[in-house]
Amino acid sequence: MNNFLKLVNFELGRFIKVYFILAGITVASQLIGMALIANDYLEMFNEEVYTNGTSIELFVEYYGEISLLNLQYSQWFNLPITFAVAVLIIYSFFIWYRDWLGKNTFIYRLLMLPTARINIYLAKASAIFLMVLGLVALQVVLLNVESSMLKWMVPANLRADLGIMESIGGLHSGGSMLAVIIPTSFIQFLIHYGVGFMVVFILFTAILFERSYRFKGIAYGVGYAIVAFVVFFAPFVVEIIFGRNYLFPTELFILEGILWIVVTGSSIWVSNYLLNKKVTV
Amino acid sequence: MIEVKNVTKKFGRKNVLQGVSFTANKGEITCLIGVNGVGKTTILNGIVNLTPMTSGEILIDGEKLTKETYEKIAFIPDAITMLPRMRVREAMQFMQDFYDSWNNERAEELLRFFKLKKEDRISSLSKGNVAKANLLLGLALDVDYLLMDEPFSGIDIFSREQIADVFTSHLVEERGVIITTHEINDIEHLIDKVVLLDDGIVFKEFATEEMREVEGKSVVDVMREVYRG
Repeated sequence: MNNFLKLVNFELGRFIKVYFILAGITVASQLIGMALIANDYLEMFNEEVYTNGTSIELFVEYYGEISLLNLQYSQWFNLPITFAVAVLIIYSFFIWYRDWLGKNTFIYRLLMLPTARINIYLAKASAIFLMVLGLVALQVVLLNVESSMLKWMVPANLRADLGIMESIGGLHSGGSMLAVIIPTSFIQFLIHYGVGFMVVFILFTAILFERSYRFKGIAYGVGYAIVAFVVFFAPFVVEIIFGRNYLFPTELFILEGILWIVVTGSSIWVSNYLLNKKVTV
Repeated sequence: MIEVKNVTKKFGRKNVLQGVSFTANKGEITCLIGVNGVGKTTILNGIVNLTPMTSGEILIDGEKLTKETYEKIAFIPDAITMLPRMRVREAMQFMQDFYDSWNNERAEELLRFFKLKKEDRISSLSKGNVAKANLLLGLALDVDYLLMDEPFSGIDIFSREQIADVFTSHLVEERGVIITTHEINDIEHLIDKVVLLDDGIVFKEFATEEMREVEGKSVVDVMREVYRG
């Protein structure tokens, strides 16, 4: 196993407990939420149909069929996702600072490993990416489980069975978090996670500026981040300022792809320089 | 040979090192001596590129440090550089995973010598045992050079003796050692060469043996002259 993979494995191991807790909260909240939502719906059904004598057709017409959407718009669904996202964003900072904090400063060891220092940076980034993608995969599995739960709890005439893609796709207008974390098209997926991962690289580079130049480094880091974002979003900014679309969508996509490579590549390059020449324990 | 050539270091406006030069040879124990805050740790950090120097040059066997150099030079800082939640066994495994120069036999030998338990967590060890575990992780590397930052500070007398014993054993022989200290007494008889630092420069560099024979002075005598006189 090469050193990079060993480092990725090591970084994952350092956060795995918290990560499993995050996953556990997500699973528990969504499954409990699904059960409660289906239960509430059935209670309402019993009340209306059996107590008040409403016909089933009228009930369905008035309240609608239950589907995964009922869950996806609820806080049972959105809160744990928000929480997991927040924790991973905070950890993107902490994954660096934890090595400098405390009495046993692990950064000494990391920097003295007989391997290219950029591997530390890439391993930390990869650990974040893997954890993000792991939660996304978990969500896909959960949607299937929740769909089965619904089928098991609610009779067919009261529910709308949406496929996973349908339930995600149906949400685009609604703006649920699911549409952001699992886009329906592959291109959209590339855009969302491409931009997300680029932001992680930029953030890591800004952190290394701070770790290299300390107080002054905060200004360098913020400056670097601003320049990186301006470069990446320049085509959009130009179009907004001049109020015209200069490029076809495909051209824009290709240009953004190139700018992504430029911004991500320079973040890695600058980080490599800082790690080798400027960083201090 | 480790060559430190005219190295300077500024922290903000403060000049910590103002042109430090000295050499440390293989097979010798070189001791950097100076009061606290004189820049001893900074020099060691500089040698292994943990802190960039403002100017000057540091060569190890005539070459600048690269990632491969970490297979032939080991730095043992004054605090252990492993995660506190790790067990001694896990810390050893970590070293073995990353360093080709890790010598497991020697590690086991040191483990017995220091009477450390593999299953103990680093966070649960006494101060003396943390220092020993820290030393173990550095000494079990088959490296040509060892840098040790204050290996005796803040630990009990018996641990000190054990650590001092290491210096006269085959665990250190043949290697080039740079050690920093501000309390010379424990190891005066062990060191071959002294580099006295003051105000960011090398005040005096001498071989202990020669000093004793020619001028009849011990290291402490010379220090007294330098720092008091």
